[in-house]
Amino acid sequence: MKLSYPVVLVVLLAFASVTACSNKSDKMRFSSWVSSPVETELFKEVLTSFEKENPDFQYDFEPIPGNYSEKLQLMLGTNTAPDVFFLKGMLAPSYMSFNILNPLDELMAGEADFDQEDFFPELLRAFQKDGVQYGLPKDCSPYVLFYNKKQFREAGVDSMPTTWAELESAARQLTKDTDGDGKTDQFGLVIEPVMEMIMPFVYQNGGNFQNPDGSLGIADEPFIEAVEYYYGLYEKGVATIPTDAGQGWNGDTFGRGKAAMALSGGWLLPFLKENHPDLEYGVLPLPAGKQKATIAFTTALAMPKRTQYEADGWKLVSHLTGKEGMKQWTSQGLAFPSRKSVAVENGFYEDPVFSVFMESMEFARPFQVEYSERGFEEAVVALQAIFYTNKEPRQAMKDIAKRIAKYKLTR
Amino acid sequence: MKQIKLSKIFFWLLLAVMTVIYLGPFLFSVSISFNAEGDVFSWPIKLLPEKWTLNNYKEAWEGLPFSTWLRNSAIITAVQTICNVFFASLAGFAFARLDFPGKNIIFSIFMASLMVPGIILLVPKFIILNEFGMINTYGGLIVPGLVSVVNIFLMKQFFETVPKDLEEAALIDGCSYFRIYWQIFLPVSKPALAAVAIYTFQGAWNEFMWPVIVSTTSDMFTLPVGMSFLKNEFSVNWPILMSGTIMISLPTLVIFLVFQRYFVEGVASSGLKE
Amino acid sequence: MSVFKSKRWEQARTAYLFIGFPVILFSIFTFIPIIFAFVISFFDWNLLIPDKVFIGLGNYIELFNDEVFLIAIKNTALYTVIVVPVQTILSLFLAFIMNQKLRGRTFFRTAFYIPAITSSVVTSIIFLWIYSKPGLLNYLLSLVGIEGTDWLTNPNTALFSIMALTIWSTSGYFMITFLAGLQNIPKSVYEAAAIDGASTWTQFWKITVPMVRPVTFFVVVLGLIGCFQVFDQIYVMSGGGPVNATTTMSYFVYNNSFKFFRLGYGAAGAIVLAIIIFIATWLQKKYFPSNPYQ
Repeated sequence: MKLSYPVVLVVLLAFASVTACSNKSDKMRFSSWVSSPVETELFKEVLTSFEKENPDFQYDFEPIPGNYSEKLQLMLGTNTAPDVFFLKGMLAPSYMSFNILNPLDELMAGEADFDQEDFFPELLRAFQKDGVQYGLPKDCSPYVLFYNKKQFREAGVDSMPTTWAELESAARQLTKDTDGDGKTDQFGLVIEPVMEMIMPFVYQNGGNFQNPDGSLGIADEPFIEAVEYYYGLYEKGVATIPTDAGQGWNGDTFGRGKAAMALSGGWLLPFLKENHPDLEYGVLPLPAGKQKATIAFTTALAMPKRTQYEADGWKLVSHLTGKEGMKQWTSQGLAFPSRKSVAVENGFYEDPVFSVFMESMEFARPFQVEYSERGFEEAVVALQAIFYTNKEPRQAMKDIAKRIAKYKLTR
Repeated sequence: MKQIKLSKIFFWLLLAVMTVIYLGPFLFSVSISFNAEGDVFSWPIKLLPEKWTLNNYKEAWEGLPFSTWLRNSAIITAVQTICNVFFASLAGFAFARLDFPGKNIIFSIFMASLMVPGIILLVPKFIILNEFGMINTYGGLIVPGLVSVVNIFLMKQFFETVPKDLEEAALIDGCSYFRIYWQIFLPVSKPALAAVAIYTFQGAWNEFMWPVIVSTTSDMFTLPVGMSFLKNEFSVNWPILMSGTIMISLPTLVIFLVFQRYFVEGVASSGLKE
Repeated sequence: MSVFKSKRWEQARTAYLFIGFPVILFSIFTFIPIIFAFVISFFDWNLLIPDKVFIGLGNYIELFNDEVFLIAIKNTALYTVIVVPVQTILSLFLAFIMNQKLRGRTFFRTAFYIPAITSSVVTSIIFLWIYSKPGLLNYLLSLVGIEGTDWLTNPNTALFSIMALTIWSTSGYFMITFLAGLQNIPKSVYEAAAIDGASTWTQFWKITVPMVRPVTFFVVVLGLIGCFQVFDQIYVMSGGGPVNATTTMSYFVYNNSFKFFRLGYGAAGAIVLAIIIFIATWLQKKYFPSNPYQ
């Protein structure tokens, strides 16, 4: 055993550096987040048909599971971002204000049959700043009201709720103690203490998180009233929250029949099909307040400013947000087309379920604020305070407004 | 006499309760992982599943890049363990047995650094690694953990207990220090080396905060990082989640059970007498 | 003289070679980062924005006006003040039992140690289930007629629930540490005490506790450092909520650095945390020295 220190050191360092080497390929990279297996499967099919059309196209598909936004942010900050990525509508304002996205207008102009007018204008606007387009919506989904047909029949609710008052009375009728142990087993509605789910009520009441003049709207009367109504449903015991039954999200609570109604987007459809195939349910447009309104979730494809693969990246973006790619992606109703023509072609306006979503898109708005995520998080804390510590909604919103104001994006 | 018996009964009862508290959660998650029914929340809670299945394990293994994460965890843990054993013992030898200018000051700085919270290093470490282009690479995951100060301390304490005569004889024979370390000190310090190895293995295998920040894509995740994200995706499927957690825990458990003796000895020899 | 000198030189050269790699690694990943953290804490440093603005003490001033940071300090302090004593006493107690002549000692020792070797992510996931509203804990409570709460979404119980989990998982680890200390106490001491008619209980207080004092010191210091930095369980179980009830300083630093991307602000929070740890350790060393007779 005649080993000397330098030899061992060199061997170990070589060992370490071999494992340290990364195999970064020189191809375009594309990242999405990871959602349900059904969605992943379908998305891969869309990519496969894209590859068939473009046999020479070289790229790596790297889905990012878990806290997608945090990871993407890190990659953008360290110049390791993928060349095309999913961008949540909610985060678009801050990304655009940091000036890290690649403008798409010239690329769009270079494509004669792209037909920009076809998109729902609200969705397109969500990814614009100062008239420049930084992302293109690949799909959307508005919140609608899911209801359990069997429970509605049993409770004798035969007119569908169309106003706040009707929603509450229907929920009351549907709230039951089925096994007679003094505890409610079936609630009228399941809600969550999250901003996205309150926003439709705020919009319906004429309020907003951020007023058109840029000031904060969460301590204004329309907002507070909406929160009071929303929390009131829970306080009065006609609505529940998922954690009260040990469930992760409202879709689960609804699927298990613990609540007769739920607000959700299109993602609940495949979940119910997979996990609760026997559930008899229907969908309705959200009941209206002072006006009809709902929230629309949308995801765009965007490119980082420093991408070296602009042409390749655009090819992928234009396919996925173009009529053909979108048609395939939205064909099963997992997500809904952000282009009207595609919705028509898919026959969504004739389908009893899908038409409710498409019609809701007419009065749906994407939820976006020009406040940093910290500000948004503060608002979520206020909601938690209301739901978990019984803080009076008016006071909670007033307190939090003062704290959020300083997190306005400045650029 | 009767009193002694009573206190004995009390003692064993206490021991039994403690054991249930410490082991119960694991046994229960094992039970859930074999549960064929998705609903684990129905009361009364059953201690054993009514319908048994191995499907959850199969689904966890197949539905997730489990093997990739396992490979990453294994590579990282192996490299870090080997390097820690080697470099920590080498440095520990130098601190224990060699005389050189600056020895005490370097050692004190090392020890003082133990008090610096890891979170303070997170941001700068990240920026530095980014400058080297090592974010989301094995290098970034492995290199910062190649030697730990605690291990150097442990080895130093142990080497100080080795009798001097062996080494003096070798010196007179003209042996180099490296040979003294390699041929005389290493063979007699198996318990301490084992303790360092097991500590490092356990720490590297379970490490969470660093990999969660450095790995950005799923192909670079370690098992704990992957699992923590799974929690979000499978929040409705406890049986699959539990079978995943059981699979992560097994390697450390097996290693511990096999090397238990070394482990306790290693801690004992780490010179907590101070 | 010259032979001696060259021998000394050779020894020093070898030593530098031996500690060379650790020193380099330490410099890159510990020493420089500490200085770096200190520097960027004076900047408005966002990785997404190219220009970094020097703002002096701006981050620190904002920290102490930041309600969430103050809550984080309070939570961290509360967490430490409860977890450290409980886990220390419990692990000493466990070690004392394990040091008795006992049938199945290895089994019990292993049982108590298993939580300590298990990944914190795994234990967090298991306890998520136990603590949930229809979970195991509430079921057991319901058997004795108590209606439990949803432990992790109730702001009054969330932090305590996580404390209990920590104590459960670390006490086995420190038990082994104490056990090593206990085995250094000569058997004859106990035997003499037994002859004098001292009960096991008296032996524990009069012999064990004073004689393991150095180990206790070690355990308390490690416990302090660990508690001040608690992160994994929070990240997996509660995300700092509800209503910031479980936002600890480490979690605050993480969130501000990597989620809100204000690296300078995060670094300033980390510096404050480091200072608090230093003070706590120093206080402990001053008022509870490992050897009171020194």
